[in-house]
Amino acid sequence: MKKFLLVLSLAAFLSITFAQPFVWPNAWSADAGNAQMGGTLRVSQLSDPRTFNPFVSAEAAPVVLRYADGMGASLITRGPDSDDWIPYAASSFKISDDGTVVDVVLRDGIKWSDGTPVTIKDYLFRYEAETDEEVGSNGFDSWFINDKPIILEATGENSLRFTFPEPDRTALPIVAMVPSPDHILGEVYRAGGAEALKAEWGIESDVSKTVWTGPFIPTAFTPGERAILVKNPYFGEWNKDEAGNALPYLDGIVENIVGDGDAGLNLFLAGELDTYGPRNLDDIGSINVAVQNGDIDAVVMENVAPVASSQFIVFNWNKESDPFKQKVFRSATFRQAISHLVDREAMIELIYGGAASPMWSNVYQVNSYWVDNDVPKFPFDPEAAATKLASLGFTEKNSDGFLVDADGNELGFTLVTNSGNNQREQILEIFTDAAREVGINVDAQAIEFSLIVDQLLSEGTDRPFDAILIGLSGGSRDWPFGSNVIPCGTNLHMYNTSGDCIAPQELLMTKLYYQGRGTLDTPAAREIGLKIQQIQAQIQPQIYTVSPAAHYSWLSNVGGQHADGQVNPIVGTREIVLTFKK
Amino acid sequence: MIPYIIRRIIHLIPTFIGATLLAFLISQLVPGDFFKQLELQPNVRPETISRMRDRYGIDEPWPVQYVKWMGNLLRGDLGDSFASNQPVTQILATPIKNSMYLVVFSLILLWLFAVPMGVFSAVRQYSIADQIVSAISYFGLAIPNFFFAQIIILGIFMFRSFTREYFDYNQLILPIAQMTSSNHSEMSAIGQAWDIFKHMLAPSFVVATSGIAGFTRVLRSQMIEYLSSDFIRTARAKGLGRSTVTYKHALRPAIIPFVAGIGGLLPSLIGGAGLVEIVFAWPGITPTYLKALRQQDIYVVLGLLIVSTILLMIGNIISDILLAVVDPRIRYS
Repeated sequence: MKKFLLVLSLAAFLSITFAQPFVWPNAWSADAGNAQMGGTLRVSQLSDPRTFNPFVSAEAAPVVLRYADGMGASLITRGPDSDDWIPYAASSFKISDDGTVVDVVLRDGIKWSDGTPVTIKDYLFRYEAETDEEVGSNGFDSWFINDKPIILEATGENSLRFTFPEPDRTALPIVAMVPSPDHILGEVYRAGGAEALKAEWGIESDVSKTVWTGPFIPTAFTPGERAILVKNPYFGEWNKDEAGNALPYLDGIVENIVGDGDAGLNLFLAGELDTYGPRNLDDIGSINVAVQNGDIDAVVMENVAPVASSQFIVFNWNKESDPFKQKVFRSATFRQAISHLVDREAMIELIYGGAASPMWSNVYQVNSYWVDNDVPKFPFDPEAAATKLASLGFTEKNSDGFLVDADGNELGFTLVTNSGNNQREQILEIFTDAAREVGINVDAQAIEFSLIVDQLLSEGTDRPFDAILIGLSGGSRDWPFGSNVIPCGTNLHMYNTSGDCIAPQELLMTKLYYQGRGTLDTPAAREIGLKIQQIQAQIQPQIYTVSPAAHYSWLSNVGGQHADGQVNPIVGTREIVLTFKK
Repeated sequence: MIPYIIRRIIHLIPTFIGATLLAFLISQLVPGDFFKQLELQPNVRPETISRMRDRYGIDEPWPVQYVKWMGNLLRGDLGDSFASNQPVTQILATPIKNSMYLVVFSLILLWLFAVPMGVFSAVRQYSIADQIVSAISYFGLAIPNFFFAQIIILGIFMFRSFTREYFDYNQLILPIAQMTSSNHSEMSAIGQAWDIFKHMLAPSFVVATSGIAGFTRVLRSQMIEYLSSDFIRTARAKGLGRSTVTYKHALRPAIIPFVAGIGGLLPSLIGGAGLVEIVFAWPGITPTYLKALRQQDIYVVLGLLIVSTILLMIGNIISDILLAVVDPRIRYS
């Protein structure tokens, strides 16, 4: 018996000794050396989490679960200082030469918040449930490349293999998957199937009985009020800082649900929130006044970088029933003239009070590695616009003052945007004034969002709109081009949904899109990305306008933010694991 | 009386069916649906969206959807929310409860202040005090609640500046958002009740103000009318005391219109305090309702409409009964 105990103790000792923790680099925090243990961070979010079941949510993962689930034991990760993936819950990972196989070895010593060890079964269960159509998980789509499945399988007791149907740089983030507890949800799934799994961990359930791998776990939730998260006691066993301290530094997080941005601002000004994301310069002004008056002691980062979203005008190339308009809208010269009529500087000053930047490329500026700043530009210049329009035959004006061609066709179109978005409606007004000034009869309207979506997504050779001012968001750090935006025949290829490429450049962009996506060498992929942006900017299928800037603020007693150059809307202001209270 | 109530309840059935049909029809007339928002998400495949539409059956013809919805409704099932996949009854329960705290407390404030103010104003007609009460009433009637709420918040912030300067005290005197404090869960039961009460003061004061204003004006004119009537003169001639005449003989008939309105208060109890809830980030029904409307989470919207309709119908019956109790002239047969 003694011998058995000795062996058992030795085994336990060895497993602890060889369980190497993940060390969070000092480079991911601006003041790593000053970190202090303890304290609670008070943050806000606009709405309730709708469920604690990671498989159920119809929207993006609830914010409260980012800390419990999304920031949990993902196999690979990356920091604010580089786009390169590094092993995290994996002790190592290896990509095959052809890029279709990724082998991963799981790190020892990772535990669920109930103390149960994390094993590859937890990852395999997550995969199984996410790829079950009956479960209807949000993650379902990410397990397919061009409708062909990505396979995850065990290759040993502690190792996993991802097999991709083809090399694809956008697919690597799937390796950053987090596990789901096979010993709890897995058992439910095996016993009762998809319906039983979906019924677990709803908003009414006792959240303190849920288990996670992330740095903070929810212990209490009151709908409409707040979620309370506390430090996961097992997270620090495999997550250390460079000094060897167990992470996270904070004891907990209080996630206040404020419902309305103004209420969030009021709470921040009252000193009852530690962080707040100012929406505009008015918010910044209020915070600065409060700081000057001594109401709060806060750090304000103004005009940090453009947000990761775009706003553009798109013309309809499929207007079979109106050959005149179809011909005009398909002309790159016409669209360049339209770009010359977008007064981006006026929009930035009048709408955003200077806190915005002009946008020229289809890659968000904040994605600085990928964006091409040398694309052809057609800045505000009504004279240049008039010259380009004249080259298309629009040299005379009719009695209403609008340009006409030799056949008497008046140059004009209806331009719509979604009602309720004040800033977008103002962009519409500024553009319309400039266009009418040079003689284009623009009929500007703000209409219901869902009608715009119907118009944009309509298919065929005769679609029911002229031009739309709309925006897109989302995109990745791996290949910042939308899979259903660039290629012909995809559903957000808004200017032409006839199913065929019309312009030769469209065909070329489609080819380059797939070529770049399949290129795993990042600098080589970037070169291809630059070509796409050059073509796009030259033919202007989307005429980009402006991107508003992101702002941040937090109370001065909150430390651990990223270094100045690293704060942006993609990586945010801080790693929550390295955040501390002074 | 009882046959009258039974008759009223039977009449409610076609009214209820008509109301639900109308509500459902209007909800169907709105262009688009919840899943439309997903269609412009570059990462969501069209197949995923059509699978979700199938799951909720929202591509079926509206009469089919209505019959299914009505069938579930009769079994007490208001359907599931698209956004959260949870039963609507579950989603609405907590916000309704939170709104009730605010609305009930506002009503108590309303009756507590409005009745004495209205009576005071009437018995001292055209005095300076009456003029002041009238001026306050007009102010309360004229100012929109959401704007008044912001002024109150500004006032609370300004008071902090004042107390910091003169008393070296840098705290807000009243909470300006939410229903509870961050450390609410760590408090004792009494502490928690006190915490909610403190959070309730500013928003319920705003909600009550506009009510007090209208109430006071109407009660004043009612009282003035009754105080100059023959039966009051007779009462005074009999030598009754001033307060007996005012509160027993004049106030009772003057208050009848308000009693008639009590039934109408039932749906407003769950209807929430409107935009005041938004400004004070009160987790009531208004934010839930507005969000559901914005997202076109249609069963949540319909659920609240149905509950309000039922309460309005019950409220009307209660009003009728109460009227008979307070007004001896009214008899039902």
